[in-house]
Amino acid sequence: MLLLALAGCVTSLPRRPPPPTGDPIVDGNAALETSPPKDRVLWDDRIAASALRVGRYGEARVKLDDSIAQIGGILGDSESARRARGVFHAESEKIFVGEPYERVMAYYYRGILYWRDGEPDNARACFRSAALASSLADDRPVPETYVLLDYLDGYASVKLGGDGADAFRRAQANAGNRPLPAYDARANVLVFAEFGQGPQKYASGRYGEKLRFLVADSRVHDARLTVEGRVVQLPAYDDLDYQAITRGGRVMDYILERKAVFKTVAGSAGDLALAGSAAAATRIYSENGRRSEGAEITAGALAAVGAVGELVSAATVARADTRCWNNLPQRLSFSSLSLPPGNHSLTLEFLDAQGLVCRELTRELTLHIDPGAPDTVLFLSELNR
Amino acid sequence: MIRLFRSLIAPATGAAAVAFSGCVSEGVPNAGGVPVTEVRPDQPGFVSGTGVESQDLVSISDRMAKAILGVPEIARAKTAPHVVLDPVVNNTRFPIDKDIFLIRIRTQLNSRSMGKVRFLDRDTMRALERERDIRLASERASGDTPPAAGFRGADFVLSGKLDGISTRTSQGTSDYILYSFRLTDARTSEIVWEDTAEIKKQGLEDAAYR
Repeated sequence: MLLLALAGCVTSLPRRPPPPTGDPIVDGNAALETSPPKDRVLWDDRIAASALRVGRYGEARVKLDDSIAQIGGILGDSESARRARGVFHAESEKIFVGEPYERVMAYYYRGILYWRDGEPDNARACFRSAALASSLADDRPVPETYVLLDYLDGYASVKLGGDGADAFRRAQANAGNRPLPAYDARANVLVFAEFGQGPQKYASGRYGEKLRFLVADSRVHDARLTVEGRVVQLPAYDDLDYQAITRGGRVMDYILERKAVFKTVAGSAGDLALAGSAAAATRIYSENGRRSEGAEITAGALAAVGAVGELVSAATVARADTRCWNNLPQRLSFSSLSLPPGNHSLTLEFLDAQGLVCRELTRELTLHIDPGAPDTVLFLSELNR
Repeated sequence: MIRLFRSLIAPATGAAAVAFSGCVSEGVPNAGGVPVTEVRPDQPGFVSGTGVESQDLVSISDRMAKAILGVPEIARAKTAPHVVLDPVVNNTRFPIDKDIFLIRIRTQLNSRSMGKVRFLDRDTMRALERERDIRLASERASGDTPPAAGFRGADFVLSGKLDGISTRTSQGTSDYILYSFRLTDARTSEIVWEDTAEIKKQGLEDAAYR
């Protein structure tokens, strides 16, 4: 019976990706090919971030569109979601769409690409969807949220000849005391920068039922761009570590907590029954050698109940889903400037918490501005994966 | 005794079997995939969201095309008026292919109006200008006096706009989208026709994603 039941757990062998090449895009695509459909968005997201950083915008666009097609819909009642909520299945069996900060980043990156392609209204749509993804799906007070999503929403409106004042006010409210630069409708170069290593996930609690975020303050706190003697500051406006840890609990956390309680209760009941069975077994033969039928039955029944309890407890999976978009940055920045058509030499520097330049990260770049072209979008990342 | 033992052990074993059934692979859902299903574009598919979908595009562009053909300036025009399409402005939270609405309205008008409306191609202006310049240069080289060439101006401009309101609460996500289209007289800037359509959609994500 046990063997049959366990045999049922075996499914076909998963396909293995080829040996890693060291290229995150090649390896990511290989993993995407061989991983189950529930992990498709995870790999789409990771590959997109890597592709953006090496300038493979077409690849990033395709992957983000695929990701957004999943995360942008209403993830209603599905078999995988039902299983993830079930007692005997892990949360990671559901289709990965990421935590809110991960969903935000898929839209944010796609917004950058839309703007790069000369579609600021679609870019704005992405920033608005990102802002909605970051909002709380319950009635708790909204914590301080992203600065850049509203700021860029307003900036795109200004670029389209509209009014970005409301969005600017929201962005400024989120930025607190730090004044945000006014929109420059004539600026033709938009600089998106990111630096530091973003949050990672881990599971804590007795059964790993608590989703936690590993956040470590990255070395790089700011950046600056020097364009032919002119310095453009790139301060960190948003911090994904902060966004990951301040959003509060999920409905799924409550479900996992209940699974953990069920696992504990089933295990305790099993332990108790087995202990009772052992105690009853000691009374099967009395001191005068007579066999007690009642004690025998009790011991047998309690052993069976105990075994069931232990099995149910062992089969209960309360572990939180720790699949993670693991190549996100920690900090996001933006600036805009005006440059005449032609080639321009740029120096990108990253600064630590004391404002000192991290020399080994400094890069020299060349930017070409096409005459008559709409906004030129420059994406700069400290990360190289 | 054996009967009593059975009466206790059997349910316990049954319960264990039920418990184990949780990890029995009763089958990967859609293990064989879902066969390709042809769905009419005016019908919702099984993949849906609260944004702009094909059934919205079809119903709205059909409605707008019908309405435009009924506009007196078009219906009673002695010569077919020339219309130019202005890209749709997207003010919603949904990235869209901005041309798709106007392309469908244009094709609907072209197929239904039997030549009552003519559209000017502004998408390929660069190629058209290049061809014109080549033609003029060749005529000049051959000694001919080229006629004053130019592209035709539009009688009307058809433009569209999508506006939206989105909310997200514990009750779910709701999106209201207002689709507005208008036909403007290119000479007088008079709006000769305007119509709107509105669609509201809402849904609640599975608890596993909240």
